[in-house]
Order: sequence, then C-alpha cells, then structure tokens
Amino acid sequence: MEKLGERALKEIEEATSLAALEEVRLKYLGKKGEVTGLLKTIGSLPKEERPAFGAKVNALREAIEGHLKEKTAFLERKALEERVKRETVDVTLPGNVPQVGSLHPLTKALREIVQIFYGMGFTVYESREAETDEMNFVKLNLAPGHPSRDAQETLYLTETTLLRTHTSPGQIRGMLDMKGKLPVRFIVPGRVYRRDQMDASHSPVFHQVEGLVIDRHITFEHLKGCFLEFARGFFGPETKIRLRPSYFPFTEPSAEIDVSCTICKGKGCPVCGRTGWLELSGAGMVHPNVIRNGGYDPDEVTGFAFGFGLDRAAMLKWGIDDLRVLFENDLRFLRQFEGI
Amino acid sequence: MRVPWTWLKEYVDLDWTVEETCERLTHAGVKVENLVYEKLDLSGVVSALVEDVSTHPARPDLKVGTVNTGEGRYTVVSGAPGFEKGNLVLLAVPSSRLPGGITIETRSVAGVESQGMVVCSNEILAGEEPRPGEDIILLPPGTPLGIPAQELFTLDDWVIELDLTVNFSHCLSIMGVAIEASALSGKPLKLPEVYRNWDWAGPYGSRRPADDPDVEGEWKVELPDPDLCPRYVGKVVREVRTAYAPIEVERRLMLAGMRPISAIVDATNYVMLECGQPLHAFDADRLEGKTIWARRARQGETIETLDGEERRLEEGMLVIADARGPVAVAGVMGGSRTEVSAGTRNVLLESAFFAPIPTRQTYRKLRLRTEASARFEKTVDPTAQPVAIERAAELIAKYTGGVPERGRTDANLMEPLKRSIPFSMRVVKRTLGAPIPIEKCKEIFESLHFAVGPVKKEGDFETMDVTVPPRRVDIKEEIDLCEEVARIYGYDKFEAKPLTPAVPGGPPNKEYVWFEKMKDFLVSMGGREVVTTSLLSPDDLLAMGWDESDGRSKGVPLMDPLSSSESVLRTSLLPGLLKVVQRNQSVRMPGGFFWETGRVFFPSREELPLEAVQLGLCMYGTLRESTWVEGEAEATFFRLKGVVETLLRLMGIEASFLPGASMPMHPGISARVVAGHSTVGEVGELHPLVKKNLGLIGNCVLAWFSVEAILAMAKEKRFTPVSKFMPVERDIAVVVDASVPADSVVKVVKETARDLRSVTVFDVYDKPPVPEGKKSIALRLTYNPSDRTLTEEELSEDRERIVKALREAVGGEIRL
Ligand SMILES: [Zn+2]
Repeated sequence: MEKLGERALKEIEEATSLAALEEVRLKYLGKKGEVTGLLKTIGSLPKEERPAFGAKVNALREAIEGHLKEKTAFLERKALEERVKRETVDVTLPGNVPQVGSLHPLTKALREIVQIFYGMGFTVYESREAETDEMNFVKLNLAPGHPSRDAQETLYLTETTLLRTHTSPGQIRGMLDMKGKLPVRFIVPGRVYRRDQMDASHSPVFHQVEGLVIDRHITFEHLKGCFLEFARGFFGPETKIRLRPSYFPFTEPSAEIDVSCTICKGKGCPVCGRTGWLELSGAGMVHPNVIRNGGYDPDEVTGFAFGFGLDRAAMLKWGIDDLRVLFENDLRFLRQFEGI
Repeated sequence: MRVPWTWLKEYVDLDWTVEETCERLTHAGVKVENLVYEKLDLSGVVSALVEDVSTHPARPDLKVGTVNTGEGRYTVVSGAPGFEKGNLVLLAVPSSRLPGGITIETRSVAGVESQGMVVCSNEILAGEEPRPGEDIILLPPGTPLGIPAQELFTLDDWVIELDLTVNFSHCLSIMGVAIEASALSGKPLKLPEVYRNWDWAGPYGSRRPADDPDVEGEWKVELPDPDLCPRYVGKVVREVRTAYAPIEVERRLMLAGMRPISAIVDATNYVMLECGQPLHAFDADRLEGKTIWARRARQGETIETLDGEERRLEEGMLVIADARGPVAVAGVMGGSRTEVSAGTRNVLLESAFFAPIPTRQTYRKLRLRTEASARFEKTVDPTAQPVAIERAAELIAKYTGGVPERGRTDANLMEPLKRSIPFSMRVVKRTLGAPIPIEKCKEIFESLHFAVGPVKKEGDFETMDVTVPPRRVDIKEEIDLCEEVARIYGYDKFEAKPLTPAVPGGPPNKEYVWFEKMKDFLVSMGGREVVTTSLLSPDDLLAMGWDESDGRSKGVPLMDPLSSSESVLRTSLLPGLLKVVQRNQSVRMPGGFFWETGRVFFPSREELPLEAVQLGLCMYGTLRESTWVEGEAEATFFRLKGVVETLLRLMGIEASFLPGASMPMHPGISARVVAGHSTVGEVGELHPLVKKNLGLIGNCVLAWFSVEAILAMAKEKRFTPVSKFMPVERDIAVVVDASVPADSVVKVVKETARDLRSVTVFDVYDKPPVPEGKKSIALRLTYNPSDRTLTEEELSEDRERIVKALREAVGGEIRL
C-alpha cells in the first residue's frame, strides 16, 4: 500500500498537464482506480482488521487527493500565466466610442451666468418675445417720437405690437408679477429682435440677459459691486470693470459697462481695438417712472438694472469672432462644445 | 460729431493732451469714438514775394512775374488779380504736391516757362481749380518768406470723433463740447464776443444785451403753425459780394465733416458747428414779397431742393414759403429757387426753432438727413436763435463786406421756459450712495453754467433750486441733475458694494429645473443642441405640407420685414431643424442628431400672438459610421423613438405611441405621443415628399414636443426596494395578425401576468414559417416578486393565463 502511495505521488509530481493529472486521478481514485480497488477488498478481510485497513486506505486517498488539488491549482495558474503571456491587442486602435451630444454655447454661457446670479440671490424671470409697443417702449420712458426709438430698429407685427427689441420689458412684467414684494432680484434671459441684416456682428435675432434689483437702499455702488462679481465669475477672477456715463431712457444715471479684454487681459489687442476694454453692458439706476410702472413706489425703493448681449458674452468667452456661426449650426462647430 | 482739436482749444484753454481730453470726455459721457490726425497731402507750398510783374508777351490776360521764396527766385505765370508786385503770396514751387495726388512741375504757358504756381484756397485744400471769383491767397504784410503753408495756417489737426447718445444733443456743437471740457478741467470758457454779450452759455439761455437796438427787421414773418415752428428769426445782410471764407475757416469746416461752398453758406455752417443752431441763407432778391411763412405744406406742392431733386411735399410737412410758394423744407434743406449763388447781392438769414418730431418725420419721408435736421430732431436751444443769427451776420460781413441790417425780425410764439428744478441731497444719498457733499454738487452745477439757489434744509436733507440752461434739453427733473453730479464727479470714484442682505437665489419653479435637466438628458443621448432663427419665410411653412386647417400653416406675419425670407414667425421648430440638416448636408456631414428648444407663435384673438415653448428633435443620415469594431448607427424611426421613450422615462412620464402623426411626417412611419390623455408630441420619419421638396437626401426622422406639457407632467421617480430574490426570465413568442400593434400584446401580458417586473419585445419576425399576414412577437418576461423566488408551477400557471388572455384579446397563438 505504501508503494502504491509513493507511486501515485510520484506520478502526480511528474504530470505536466491538467489532462495527465486527470489520468492519474482516474488511475488511482476513479471508479476502477487502484485506491478504489483497495477499498473494495476490505470485505475479504477479517472483521477486526477492517477498521484499521479502512483508515489507512482513506488516509492514502486523502493524501493523493490533496496532492492532486495542489498540483491542479499549480498547473491551472501556470496555464493562465501562459495564456496571459500570449494574449495581446493593439491598444492604439480606437475604442468603442459612445455618442456624446453637446449644448449650444449660448446655453452653456447662460447656465454659467444663471449660476453666478443664483449665488447673489437672483432668480430667473422668463418673459414673452412678442410684445406690445406699450411694454417694450412706453413703460420704459420711450414714448412715441422718442429719438432712442430710431436707434432700435424695430420689427413690428401690427401698429401696436412688435417683437421685443430688448429684454427690458421683462423688468416691467417681472415687477408686476412680484406684486410689491421685496427684494426684487431677477434676471431675464431671452431672445430679442432688431431690424438688422445678418453680418459678423449683427443679427435680426439675438439674445440678451437683463438684470433687475429693486429694494430699499439700493445705490449705484451696488450696481458696480453686483456687476463686478458677475464679470469675475464669468470671465475670470482677474477681470476688471469700468463704468462710463451713457444714456438709456429707462435708467438714470445710466452707464455703459466695459470689462477688461478677455483676450489680452487689458494690454490691448485687435479684439478690444487696442483699448484693453470691451463694451459689454448697458446699465443704470432704474428711472423712477419705470419703478412706478412696475407697481413700486420710487419714493420708497430704488433699484438698478443692466442688460447685455448673451451672444456677445459667449463670443468673448470662447473667442468666437463671427456672430453668424452661432446660428449656422454646422456640426464642425457644435462638436467643439462637447463637454465644455 | 467731429471736433477739430484746435477749434475746441480756441474756446477752452486745456492743458491736457488730445488723448487725455478724449479719455476725460468719454468718462463724462461725451463718448469719443475715434481720434484721427487729419493731414493734408501738401508739400512745397511756401510764402513768397512777388518782386516784379509784366504782361505775358503772347497772352495779355496773363502776367509773368518773378517770385522770391527767400531761397530762390522763380518765374511764374498767373492770371490772378492778386498777382501784383509787392504782394505776399503762396507759391507751389516745382515738385510740390497738392491734395488729390497733384504734382506741380515747371510748364510752358503760351511759350513762357512757369516755374511753379501761385495758389488759392481751393488748390491747397482740394487740389482743384480756383472757384468762380476766387483769388490767390494774399498773406499779410510782414510774413517771412519761405514758410510752408502748414506753418502759416492750421491745416493739419487732430479730429475727435464723437459718438453721442441721444440725450447729449448739447454736444452737437464745438462750444457745447467746450463747456463739458471746461467743467471737467476747471479751465475757463473763452467764447467769441457775440456769445458773451448774449450770455449764450448762461443758466437762462441767450438774452438780449442792453445795447441791442430795438429795431424790427425788413422782412415780416408769419407763424401759422406754432406747433411746428414757434420761433423764426430773420435778418438781412445787404451788399454782399461773392467771396470765399478764409482758408482756415474752410479747413475747419472740412475737418468737421462739411464741404466749404461760399463765404455766406460757410458762415451759416460755421455758426451751426460752433453753437449748434442751424441757419439758412436765402438770396433775398429771389424771394417773392417781403413776408416769410413757416407753414404746413399744401396738397400738391413741390420744391426743387439744393441737391437738384424735385421733391413732392406731403401735406403737413413744415415748409418755409414766400408769396409764391415753398422755398425750403424747414429744418431739412433749402430750395434751388432762392439759393445763394455767385451773383447774390442781398441775403436773408434764417435762424429758427423747428419742432423735433415733425422734423424727423419729414426728413425720413424725404430720405434727406442733413446736419441741420440732425440737430433740430434732437431739440435745439430755444433761446439761441437771435445770437446765432447775429454771429452769422457778423461773419458774413467780415468775409463778404456785406452790411447787416440793424436789429432783426424775431417772430416768437415760444412758451416761456421754466428751468428751475429743486434738488435734494436725498436723491444723492439714495441713488448714488457715495458721500458727495453739497458743496461738490454745487461746484459741479456751476461748472456746467447752471445757476444754484440758496441752500435750504428740508427734513433731514439739504436742498437747493437749480436753474438749467435751456440748451440742456435733456435735463427735466431731479434725477437728471443727479446724473450730472455722478458723471462729472466720475463713475470710477464710486465703490463696488456687494448686494445686501444676502437672500437665497435659485430657479423660479420646478418646470425650470426640469427644463434644464431635459437638456442634459438629450445631451447624454448624443443630441446636439442648435439655435435657429424664429423668423421664417412663408415658403418654409408651406414646404411642411400643412393644410389650411392646420394652425401651423400660417405664421404671424411681420408688418415690415427685412425680406420675405424673414417675414413670418415660426409655428414649429421643424422647418428650422430641417434647414440645419440642409446646411450640414451641403458641407457633406454624413449625419447628425439635433435638437432645439424655443418659442413658436400662433395668431390669437388677443392683442398679442400666442407663444408656446417647443422641443424639436431631428436625426439624419449616419450618426456614427461603422468602425473597425462596431457597425454604423443610422438615423431611423426606432432610434429616435428610443430617445423619445428614454427622455420621457427619465422625466417620469408615462406615454403611449399611437400610429400616424401629422405632416411633415410619413403617415405610416410616425406616431403621436399621448400622455395624460392628450397628445404631447409626435415622432416620425420625414415625409418623402417634403424631403424631396427640401432637396434632402437619405434618411431623416423628426420629433416635436410641447415643452409646457411635458414639464408639467415631469416628476421625480419614487424609490422601490430591490427584491432580495433572484429574478426569473421566461420567453414567449406569440403569432398575431400583422396589423396588431405590439403595444397591445405587451399590454395584455402586463395586465395578465402576476409578479411581473418587466416585459420587453426582443424580436419581431414575419417570414416563413410564420404564415403570410401574420407576425411573431417574441417577449421576454422578467418575474421578481419581493418575497420569494417563483416556483416552476407558478410560472407555468402564469404562462397558461397569459396564453389564454392573448388568444382572447388579440387572437394570438403561441409559437414554440
Ligand atoms: Zn484685447
């Protein structure tokens, strides 16, 4: 029996493949195997020898099984290692690319803007695009015959209705919806229309973002602070702003807001006309008449408003030099905004 | 407005550089658009003495002279009357250059060599021949010889180009800009004597000086329409002779953007540029009668304007008329009949106030915008008419030797002005915020020539009455005065303060949040957002194949569109999306998946059109070409439907698809999307006819949704616990008539099966052995109750139930 054991262990040792090992297993532990055969002889032994014999054979079987298991694991690992060594792919081949979409740069820019203003306590007010002459002009101190009406070439629908020339009627509608609650802090993003031919910097259809704040104790200094925070958030923390007197019938005092050039950082380049500054926004303290038209008392509250071109802001942010590409929707353009 | 630097400096002695001046002006609201150095292309023209003159041997009308420049003597031929011995002239020596690329060379004049040319203003300024009656330039005695013309006269100069906002009409004159510069620099204003005598800059406007003669002018003026012309001042200048303004005056006009014409016309233009009051000169002898009417035009009246155009006047336009008819379109342009010309002996000057809005309407109708109308339309100083006419008369007398009449005709129906505005420091504190003391405000007002009354205390605040000069038509109320303080004080001196108190900001409502989420879902499924115009051509709508009864077939029209291609408002996003496909096919992009959100417009019974927000989706061609590892992805109905289904699922909306959508979709390959008992959108293949008409190639599928409808239904999904037991899957293939929608088969299964978690269609087959007219639908059923694993018995019971139900409901037979 001992010899059988030694022989079995030696054969296990010498087996070099899983198949050879299986043969060894069958030879000794299979139904007709030698160890199995030994067990079958147990019946021919005297009764008192049987337990000892049985224990011995079982010990032998367990020893062989143990070695088989060990050797199997060894051979399996070896086979796996060899397979891994053989297997290789050309990793420079392209992978299976999932299809990625993109947001339009105007939406991307607007989302950033909206987030910055959320941080300053603003909400979003959406206002209609087809407007009355009354809302678009008269309620904003632009009575018929006002010279500023000419500057805004208007697309009229009827004698009294038009496509809004600016997002400013949203100031009136927004205030009226607030019904006297304070503070008023909202932005009005949206599409506006002018009677302009399409070229690199004009379009009959473009977009603006209007902002309005009405409260007690709002001054020109808050306008400056609020816009500075926005400009830094949108164009980068080193951005500077500059306010120049200007004129809008619905604000007084009025200002033109320049931001330091996003391209040259204020040093002067062709984009900013070598001035280091880019005109971005019109702004000012809300005219008392406009506050009144929004259902608030100008003797009790003051406020500021601003409005700027979303298209222009997006163009400056991403260095787009022609307004038309925003509306052409060429795939080669749109693709560049994946993930931005 | 163009402001020549030297001219500006004549009225205010700035010690700033021109660049610094531009910067300061811009920061006070007088926006400088551009600064340019205007240089005449002129060289070799120098002062010289005519030493000796004799008659040309062959041409008795010409003279031959010796001209000394101090550096050399030249033989010169000239016919000019001023070419006389002892006169100091300007000589263009051989090789000198005149504007217009002209070079002066030695040339033979009727057999005599002329070494250069003695020149007149027109030659120096424009490089053109002398005008009728124009003599050579004669320099004052004592002028040194050999000095270039540019050093003798200011010809080259900086020009500040202003881009003024409409409220800054008071800066449509050099003196107006000078007042701003004076206020900003603290340097005193230095105006010509006439303006000082009349106190032109003062807080009450121009006022008759004490020594003004109380004499009525020769002409009578009638103002039947004071709403259009409430004031008209006339003055005659007699015995004028044909002359040209001095070269520096002509050059100033050119630098300011006007063309020199004759001494009389130039004088009126010069005064307009100087003080902002437009003037007109009539040839008094060509006027019929001695009365001028400023009246509305009558039906059928016409006028030939100075530019030679015969113009039909509309009833109601303001004209200036004599006994015969219109002689000028008021505030816009004079007429040819009474034009000042070379033979003019007597001149009637006009200085009037024409109402802004009618002037604008008139020049727009006539398409005739002039320097004069640009000023009248923004309201001129209602007190400046007499002083301006006096100044013009003075200049004409100086240039032409004419004699102005004493006094003037002043027809004045102007309402008395009230320009005093109470100003409280409360407005400064409330609106500006910065601690600007009352002394500073006072100083600012006075620097702008406003009059400030005594300081009073009213409540907690100091107040004062401020009287604003009438030329400042932009200042009407306290808040306007506040702006004056702010802009002269300097916007850059204000602090930047954060908004207080801090209040929470954020999206206005749940719909807004879902709207943004919806965009993210579309991006995650490979969609590219596009932005297209809302202005379409009626043909764009026609191409969609909507019939008359379809609300989308006719867009809200624009009253006066730029072109027919942008003449109606979109009623759907689909035409715009199909244009995006056209565009991308034209640049050979093989395929794409686009979407857009935006407003569409429909006519309504209300005053304003109905606006609705839509989502449009469009796929065309090959979305992804096949790669070495994957097959191509084509734009198909089911690919887009899959996007739509997923989008709705992510938004928590249960929807069903009913066969057959409207145009421009293929009736057999399209579906209405129904959710909450109403149609919320459609999805389908582009109708082949529409595709053909638009010139599109390949496959194209579309979808649209009412954004308002789906956002209202969007909801967060509720969490359901995950079963601790393994799911079990069973497949069933059922053969039904080809016309039975898969959806109804799925519905039967869902309604019948117990403990079912999901059922999906994983195959549809209609080839043999499936009988003709039938199809086999293979379903995968996943069971997964939360409390146990289903037994084989339960599963087969369920299967029997389903088989029975399918047979009864849709006539389905189970295929094994
Ligand atoms: Zn730059």
